[in-house]
Amino acid sequence: MPKYDVAIIGGGPGGYVAAIRGAQMGGKICVIEKEEVGGTCLNWGCIPTKALIASTSVLRYIKEAQNYGINIKGDVEADFPAIMERKNKVVATLVYGIKAIFKSYDIDLIKGTGSFLAPHRLKVTLAEGSHEEIEAEKVLIATGSVPAVIPAFPIDGKKIISSDEAVTMKEVPNSILIIGAGAIGCEFAFILHELGCQVTMVEMLAHAVPLEDIDTSRTMDRELKKRKIKLYCGIKVQHVKEDADGMMLATLESGEQIKAEKVLVSIGRVFDVKGLDLDNIKVAQGKRGEILVNDRLETNVPGIYAIGDVIGGIMLAHVASKEGIVAVENALGGNKKIDYRVVPATIFTNPEIGSVGLKEREAREQGFDIRIGMFPYRALGKSHTMGEIVGQAKIIADAKTDKILGVHIVGAHATDLVHEGAIAIQHGITAQQLGDTIHSHPTLSEVLMEAAHDVHQIAIDMPKKT
Amino acid sequence: MGDESYKFHKEHLWFKAEGDTGMIGITDYAQQQLGDIVYVDLPDEGDEIKKDESLGEVESAKTLSDLIAPVSGEVIEVNNNAVDDPSIINKDPMGEGWLLKVKLSNPSELDDLLSEEDYKKLAK
Repeated sequence: MPKYDVAIIGGGPGGYVAAIRGAQMGGKICVIEKEEVGGTCLNWGCIPTKALIASTSVLRYIKEAQNYGINIKGDVEADFPAIMERKNKVVATLVYGIKAIFKSYDIDLIKGTGSFLAPHRLKVTLAEGSHEEIEAEKVLIATGSVPAVIPAFPIDGKKIISSDEAVTMKEVPNSILIIGAGAIGCEFAFILHELGCQVTMVEMLAHAVPLEDIDTSRTMDRELKKRKIKLYCGIKVQHVKEDADGMMLATLESGEQIKAEKVLVSIGRVFDVKGLDLDNIKVAQGKRGEILVNDRLETNVPGIYAIGDVIGGIMLAHVASKEGIVAVENALGGNKKIDYRVVPATIFTNPEIGSVGLKEREAREQGFDIRIGMFPYRALGKSHTMGEIVGQAKIIADAKTDKILGVHIVGAHATDLVHEGAIAIQHGITAQQLGDTIHSHPTLSEVLMEAAHDVHQIAIDMPKKT
Repeated sequence: MGDESYKFHKEHLWFKAEGDTGMIGITDYAQQQLGDIVYVDLPDEGDEIKKDESLGEVESAKTLSDLIAPVSGEVIEVNNNAVDDPSIINKDPMGEGWLLKVKLSNPSELDDLLSEEDYKKLAK
C-alpha cells in the first residue's frame, strides 16, 4: 500500500497549493482529485469566467471603437464557440502547468474520489470504478463546494442552470433570468449582456453585490441600469416553471412574472463533503455541514486538517490557497495560525470591484469612529485618456489613529489596485502615509492617493468642499 | 428662453407647468457646468418624486450629481430619448432634452420656484 506523509483530498486552489508547499518542505505528498487539478476555480469558476470576460472586453472595445477615433468597417460578430474554445485552451494550459509543477516535486496525482476508511487510511475510487487504498500520516480535506440548489428552482442543467453549465454553454441565450446578484451573478450578467443576451436579475437583498460596501453596491446598481439590465431587489423568486412556449416563467413574491429563455441560479455555494465517509472518522461538522477546524486548521481528529470552501469560512480561492499553506505546514510539524484580517476580494464586472478590510457599516458596527475619503475616477487624467471614467475609491480610516481600516474600489482595474489597500491594512499604514507616498502620474493608482488625501479633506484634483 | 411658463429650482432643474402636470429638466447653466453628459438615471413611470429630494442622478465627464426635484408628484412619462442619447440634454436642455413629465401632488409648491430672472442671478 502506498504511504504518504500527507494525502490531500481535492486538487483545487486549496489542495494543489498545499501539495506544492508540502513537497517544498520535503513531504511525500499525494493529491486525490476526481476531475482536474485546479478544481472549481480553474475549471469552472474564476479562470473560465475571466477568459470569457477577456473576449467580451474585446467586443466592447470594438463596439466603442468610434469613441476612440477608430472606425470599424464591415461586420463584427462574436463567434461564441470560438470564445468557448479559447477559454478551454486557457484552462488546459493552466491545468497542464500545475501537473508539470507536481511532476517536478514528485507529487502523486491520483484521479479518483477519496474517502476515509480510518483516520490515516483512505480508499480511492478510481475513474473506471476500481479501488485503491493508501496510507497517510496526515490528511488534508480540500473538497470545496458546489453550487447551492433550492427546491423552488431545481437545476436541470438545461433551462435552469448553475455557473457550471453557464461556463460550458453552447450558445448565448436570447434572454436569461439570473437569480442572485452577487459576484457570480453579476459577472455572468455583464458577460451575457455584452454578447447580446437580454438579462434580468433578481436579488433577495437590497442591492447588486449586496455584501460589498454600500457605495460600491450603488455604483453597480447604476451600471446595471445603464445597460438596461433590469434588477429586482429586496424580493425573492417564489418559483420557476416552464411555460407552454418552452420559455421559463419565474414568479416573484409580489406576483410579478419574468419570462426568459434560461434561468441561471447563482445564490451561493454549499460545502462538498459527499463521498468522504466522514462518519468513519467522526470528524465534527457544523450545522450547515461545514467541517469544523481550529485556528491551525486541524479538525477534532488529530492529523486530519481541512481547508477551503469546505470549512465554510470565506469562500474564496486565494483564502483556500493560504489555508492550504498554513495547514500543510502544520501537518508537517509547524505551528502556524491562519490570519483572516486582510482578505482582498475581487469581482470582474464592468466596472471591476476590489475590496479589502472593513466596509463602512462594519466599521460603524464595530464601534470605530471613522473618517471616509472618496475620490472619483472621473477626476483622474488617466481615466479620461482610457475612456474609463466610472467609479470611485473609498478609504475608511480610524479617526483616532488614522490607520486605514477598509479600501473599496469600483472602477477600471479595481481588482489590481485593491492590493495597495491590502498592504496598507496589513501593515497598519495611515491615510496620511498612503497619501504622502508619491504615486506615478498618470495612473489609476492616483485614485487611492487622492482618496487617502480626501480622508483629511485635502484631495488635490477636486473643487473645495462647501 | 424668456418663456414665463418655465419656473426654476435653485438646484438647477426647471419645471414647465401644463395644468396639473408638467415637464422637468435641467437648466442650460447646469448642462454647461456638467459638461458632456454620459448618463442620466431617472425614476420609472409611476414612481413618486419629492420636492427638494433626489429624483435621480446625472453623470457627466466631470461629475456625478444628484438631480433635485423642483416639485413633488408622480412620474407619468420618462424621456427615453434623453436616456438613450444624453447628448440631447446638452444640446437642448430646455426642450428636446427634458427628463420627466409629472402629475403634481401639491401645485402650491410652484410658488416656491424662481422666475427665470431670479434664477439667472443665482446661477452665474
